[in-house]
Amino acid sequence: MFDVSLVLSGQFRGWLLSGFVTSLQLTGLTLVLALPLATALALLRLAPSGVLRWLGFGLVEGVRSVPLLVHLLFWYFGAAELLPGPARQWLYAHDAEAACAVVALTLYTAAFMSEDIRSGIRAVPATQLEAGRALGFGFLATMRRVVLPQALHITVPPLISQTLNLWKNTSVATVIGTAELMYQAQKVETASFRGFETFVVATVAYLAVSLVITALAAAYHHRYPPRTA
Amino acid sequence: MHIRAKALATSLIAASLITTTLAARADQLDDIKKKGELVVGVLGTDEPNSFIDPKTREIVGYEVDLASAVAKKLGVKLTLKQLAVAARIPELQQGRVDLLAASLTHNKEREQVIDFSLTSFVTGQKVLVRKDSGITQLSQLGGKKVVTIKGGTQEPNIRKAVPGVDVVTFETGPQAFQALQQGKGVGFVNDEVSLIDDYAKLGPQQKDYAILPQNISVEPLALGIRKGEKTLKAAVDGTLRELEKSGDAEKLFFKWYGPGSRLKFPSRSFKIESDKVES
Repeated sequence: MFDVSLVLSGQFRGWLLSGFVTSLQLTGLTLVLALPLATALALLRLAPSGVLRWLGFGLVEGVRSVPLLVHLLFWYFGAAELLPGPARQWLYAHDAEAACAVVALTLYTAAFMSEDIRSGIRAVPATQLEAGRALGFGFLATMRRVVLPQALHITVPPLISQTLNLWKNTSVATVIGTAELMYQAQKVETASFRGFETFVVATVAYLAVSLVITALAAAYHHRYPPRTA
Repeated sequence: MHIRAKALATSLIAASLITTTLAARADQLDDIKKKGELVVGVLGTDEPNSFIDPKTREIVGYEVDLASAVAKKLGVKLTLKQLAVAARIPELQQGRVDLLAASLTHNKEREQVIDFSLTSFVTGQKVLVRKDSGITQLSQLGGKKVVTIKGGTQEPNIRKAVPGVDVVTFETGPQAFQALQQGKGVGFVNDEVSLIDDYAKLGPQQKDYAILPQNISVEPLALGIRKGEKTLKAAVDGTLRELEKSGDAEKLFFKWYGPGSRLKFPSRSFKIESDKVES
């Protein structure tokens, strides 16, 4: 009865493959956008100004405390409607499903990553920041030239772990019609009635990429072992 | 040797457990009567087949009434379980519901995985379009984006009817309808009865929408029964036949679809009499 080849041939294979590629693209694009945003959020939370710190706190906690599913529905059905007419029409004429998924995933991932980056920054002895300031660098310049290079090094393992979460989280985007792997798997299931086989294939695909990400983390750990400052 | 004997004994016990479980489930009708409860999977998002009454917060509708007639006939309590369109057939196959009354299309493909009762409703599938798209017939949908529900017959049917159409699917009918209203697609593919109901809900905005006249398919709807449950099917079909004979089936049709309802069907074009489908 169990026959994977059925869902791995012809049209079904094409659907699953395109879903797999879309999931990878979602992950890649979100990662590229989320990293700088996460760094900015982490800096906000450590900024010298109290107002900025509270702003950072509000943003991170607000985003982190709401389920990803709600974020996706909000950006797709809610926020997109607030765009001015021509921009909205342009978006809807293109791949609004993927675009809204990237926005939601980016904010969600950045909120989590920012906390990892912040703890990385805090792991760098405060004297480094003080030394930078004493040499006449401003807050941002000290961060950029002195603290962040050390902090990001410490932060790589947790960031890779967040990337793993991101890769799996892309599957939630199916609810707003983003044609990622889970969406295509459901489509194949409906057309083939081979639910078990289809989801076995999808699971193996998720697992394979997850293991690659985990291997990257291990390799990094091996190449650059953690050192105490 | 000892270990092997033990392993053998364990597997024998496991095997006998499996067979007894299977034997206990061999007749679902007996099980339903024994537990005194008929669990029916419904959508709850598809007016007027099954939807949540805003006043009572209960799931009501044409199919709910059919299901409750079956439960009454069996002398058991009716329990409704709300399902997503895509989850209907898997939930039935895995025995988490006894019956499906979930706007389920009866077709030849699905006959290979589940059984169906007598056809309880017939509807066409159509496309509700936004007038600002300028689309007046099906063929113009090629290359355009349409929205519909995941896991139903809508997506395969529109792909067959309009090659090259771009389909985006959502979990429920109301979500897809909202996506259409927001302009995320030019058309919404669904059963005609659901579209008429959605169209009626549009109120003054109706002037901006139209239902394309051509059917993309004809959909006989039926209750879904797990494959091979002959006695349960006989009981369900028996109930439906009685409803038809007594005139109650017609009354139910007019209650939910007739001139007094939002759908305003002037007459009933089918009878509950056959469980055969053409495609």
